[in-house]
Amino acid sequence: MTHLHRAWSAASRGRTLASFATVLVALAAHVAGGQSNLSSQGFGYPPGQFSSRALGTGAAIGELDPLSPINPATIAVMGARTVYFQAQPEYRTVTGPEGTERTTTARYPVVFGAIPIGSSWMISLGSSTLLDRTAATTVTTTVPISNTESELTTTSSKVDGAINDVRIAAAWAPTSWLRAGVGAHAIAGHNRVTLEQTFQDSTQFASFTQQRLLGYGGAAVSGGVELVSKNFNASLSGRWGGNLHLSVEDTTISSARVPDRFGVSVAYTGIASSTIAVRTSYDSWSALNGLGSPGMSAVNSWDSSIGGDFAGPRFGNQIVFLRTGFRMRTLPFQAAGQNVDEKSVSAGVGTQFAANHVLADLAVIRAVRNADIGASERAWTISIGISVRP
Amino acid sequence: MLKKVALLLTGIAVVFSIAACSEKLEAGKSCPLLCPEQAITLVDTTIDAAVSDTTIAGLPPIGAEGYLMLASHGDTVETRAIIRYDTLPQSYTKSGVDSTIANIDSAYLITPIVKPDSLRRPKAPVTIEAYDVDTTATDTVAAILAPLFRPDRLIGSKTFAPESLLDTLRIPVSTDSVLDRVKNGTKLRVGLRIVSTQGVDLRVGSTTLGLGVTLHITASKDTAAAPVNVAPVSNTPTDQPFLSGPLSDYTIVLNGTTRTPAILLGVGGVPSRRSFIRFNVPSRIVDSTTIVRASLLLTQFPNRRVSPRDSFYVFPAAILSQGTITNVTNALNFLGPDGQFGLDSLLLAPGDSGLKSFEIVGLVRTWKGQTVQTSPRTLGLRSGVEGSLPGEINFFSTRAAVGLRPRLRITYVPQQNYGIP
Repeated sequence: MTHLHRAWSAASRGRTLASFATVLVALAAHVAGGQSNLSSQGFGYPPGQFSSRALGTGAAIGELDPLSPINPATIAVMGARTVYFQAQPEYRTVTGPEGTERTTTARYPVVFGAIPIGSSWMISLGSSTLLDRTAATTVTTTVPISNTESELTTTSSKVDGAINDVRIAAAWAPTSWLRAGVGAHAIAGHNRVTLEQTFQDSTQFASFTQQRLLGYGGAAVSGGVELVSKNFNASLSGRWGGNLHLSVEDTTISSARVPDRFGVSVAYTGIASSTIAVRTSYDSWSALNGLGSPGMSAVNSWDSSIGGDFAGPRFGNQIVFLRTGFRMRTLPFQAAGQNVDEKSVSAGVGTQFAANHVLADLAVIRAVRNADIGASERAWTISIGISVRP
Repeated sequence: MLKKVALLLTGIAVVFSIAACSEKLEAGKSCPLLCPEQAITLVDTTIDAAVSDTTIAGLPPIGAEGYLMLASHGDTVETRAIIRYDTLPQSYTKSGVDSTIANIDSAYLITPIVKPDSLRRPKAPVTIEAYDVDTTATDTVAAILAPLFRPDRLIGSKTFAPESLLDTLRIPVSTDSVLDRVKNGTKLRVGLRIVSTQGVDLRVGSTTLGLGVTLHITASKDTAAAPVNVAPVSNTPTDQPFLSGPLSDYTIVLNGTTRTPAILLGVGGVPSRRSFIRFNVPSRIVDSTTIVRASLLLTQFPNRRVSPRDSFYVFPAAILSQGTITNVTNALNFLGPDGQFGLDSLLLAPGDSGLKSFEIVGLVRTWKGQTVQTSPRTLGLRSGVEGSLPGEINFFSTRAAVGLRPRLRITYVPQQNYGIP
C-alpha cells in the first residue's frame, strides 16, 4: 500500500474543491520551456508526466504512483476525492561553442482531480504536459541579402505553449491484489510562435514581427494493471496513440500519430512503509516525425530508472518519506542529427499536513544531457507537488 | 476548521511555488547549432514596378505655399509676393479708449523670413520694395500684376545687409498711402519685390503656416496709444472663403516658368511641381511575404538652371486618396504629411546626378491585403521648399531609356512555415 493511501485512509471526505481545481487546470495550461538547448529540440521537452513523488525516486515508482497520470489502474488506490497540482521550475545551464548560458523555465506539468464511484471504482480527469516547448532566443547575425550585400540583423524567436495530455481515466479494484484501469486521452495544446527581426540599418530596413498559433489535436487510449502482493508490486501500462494533427488557424498543416508508450515497474514493498522499485518504458516518439518539417528527427527511446521511497523520521505523528533514484533516457528529438541522452539523479521528501488532508512532496533532480555535437546541458529541477483531499 | 487550515496551507504552498517560477527564457548563444528552425531567408529583387508617372506643375496651388518665394535671378527667375489687407481698422486704442485714426505716425510691414543658411546667404545687399498692387482686374495673374511694380506705385523699400537677414524684417511703407486706405475704408494690397546686384532668394512667411506679413500701424506718437497690427486678409473672391482665405498672400512668377519634359520627373521649381508614380508590384510579393525593405531607385538628372548647388529635401509621400480619384492633379493634392509611414527624405541639390534611393517600405507595407481601389499603389514626390525656393530636382521617368527608369528594390521574407520544428 502506498504511503499516499496510508496517509489518506483516515481522512474525512468532504466537498470537492471545484473552484480550486478550476484554478489548477488554468495554471496547467501555462507550461513553459526553453530553446537554444539540448532538451527542447523539436516539439519540446517531455517532463515525463510524473508526480513530484515519483520524480523523487527517479520515476522508478511511476507505474504504481496514483499521482502520475500514466497508469490508469493506480488511481484505484486513492479511495477519496483528490485534487493535485504540481509546479516544477528548472534551472538550466547550456554550454556550447559560444559559451555558457543560464535559463530558468517554469513548468506546471501535472494537474488533476479524482473522485470515487462506489466502493471499488475511481475516475479522474487531469492534464499533464507531454511536450513542453516554450522558448525564447535572440540571435544577432549577419544575413546575406544579395551577392554583394549583407545586413546585421537581430532575430528574436519566442514559442509559448505545449502539447498536453488530457486524460479521463477509470480504475477498478475488484480484489486486494488486482487493480485495472483504462484511460481516454485528448492530445491537445498549442504553440504561439512569435518571430521578430530587427535590422541595424533602420533607415533602409523595417523590423517586423510575425505571430503564428500552431494547434495540436489528437487522441489516444491507455490501459494498465497493478498486481499487488504482500512484498511485491508489479505494474504495467500502455498508451496507444491515434492520429495527431498540427493545424494553423483552420488549416491542417501535417498529421502524424500520437506516440505509443509501454512501461512497467516492479517494486519490493517488504520493508515497512517503504518501496524499492525499478522501471522501464518505451516511447515510440518517431511517430511524430510526420508532424514536423523534414529536418526534424524524433527517435524511439527507452526510459529506465531505479529508486526508493523510504519511511524516514517522524515528526509528531507524521512520517517523513525520503526518496532517491537514478534515471536514464534518450530524449525524443535529436539535436543537430545526434541523439540527446539524459541521466539524472534525484532526491525527495514527502509528508502530510492538516490531519492528512494535505500531502506535500518535494523532489530535487540533477540532470545531465549530452549529445555528440559539442554542446552539453546541466539542469537542476525542483518539483513541488500538493495533493489535497478535502 | 481542519479543511480551512488545509486550504490555507495549500494556497500558501501554491503561491510560493508559482513565485519561485519566474522565468528567464532568453538564450541564443548556442544558435544556430541548437536553433535550426530560426534561420530567416531574405530575398532581394529589383523590379520595373513603376508603370506610369507624370509631373504636375502648380502644386501646391496658389496661396497654399508654406512660404512666399521672393526670388530675383534676372532673366532666369523673377517672382513677387502679394499680400492682401482687404480689411483695415479705422480706430486705435489709447488709454483704453477707442479713437478714430486721423493720422499715421509710422507704418511697417513686419516681415518674417527664413534666415538664409550660409550657402544661401546673399553675397550683396538686398533691397525689398513694397508696391501698391491694388487693381480691379484679376490680381492673381502675373501678366496683370507685373506692370503694377512701377515707381509711381512704390510705397516703401528698405535695403538690408546680408548679415542682417535674420528672422524678421521691418519694411517701412508710405503712411499717406496707408492712411488714405484707412480713411476711405478701402483695401490695401502690397506686392513685394527683391532687388540685388546678384541672384537672390528669400523665403517670406505666409498665412498658410500662421506667419503672415503684418502691417504695423502707429497712429499716434503718444506712447499711450497702442499700435495696430493688421494681419493679411483677403475678401475676394467674395462669398467664397475657401478660395479667398488662401489668397491672403501668395506668390506670382513674372518670368522663369519652366516645363518638365516627359522623360523627366520634377519636384520644386518654378512654378512648384510634384511628381506622381504609380506602381504595379506583384501580389505574390505584396500580399504573401513580409517586406523589410522597399527602395524607390531614381536616377537624378542634373538641373543647373537655377541654384544648382542649393540643396533641399525631397520627400516621398503617400497619396491619401482612394482609387476613385483618378485625376492625378487631384491625387497630388492629397499627399500625406512628411514622414508619414516612416517615409524618409533625401537631401539633394538640383545639380546632382546619379542613382538616388528613397526608402518607402512603410508605404509598401500598407498595400498588403488591400485592393488597388482601397489603397492605390501610388506615391507622390515633393520638394521640402516647394513654392518658396526656385530650385528644381529632376529624375528620369518611365519614358526614359530602360536603365534610367524608376525601379523598385524590394527585400522580403518569403512566406514560410516558421515555427514548425
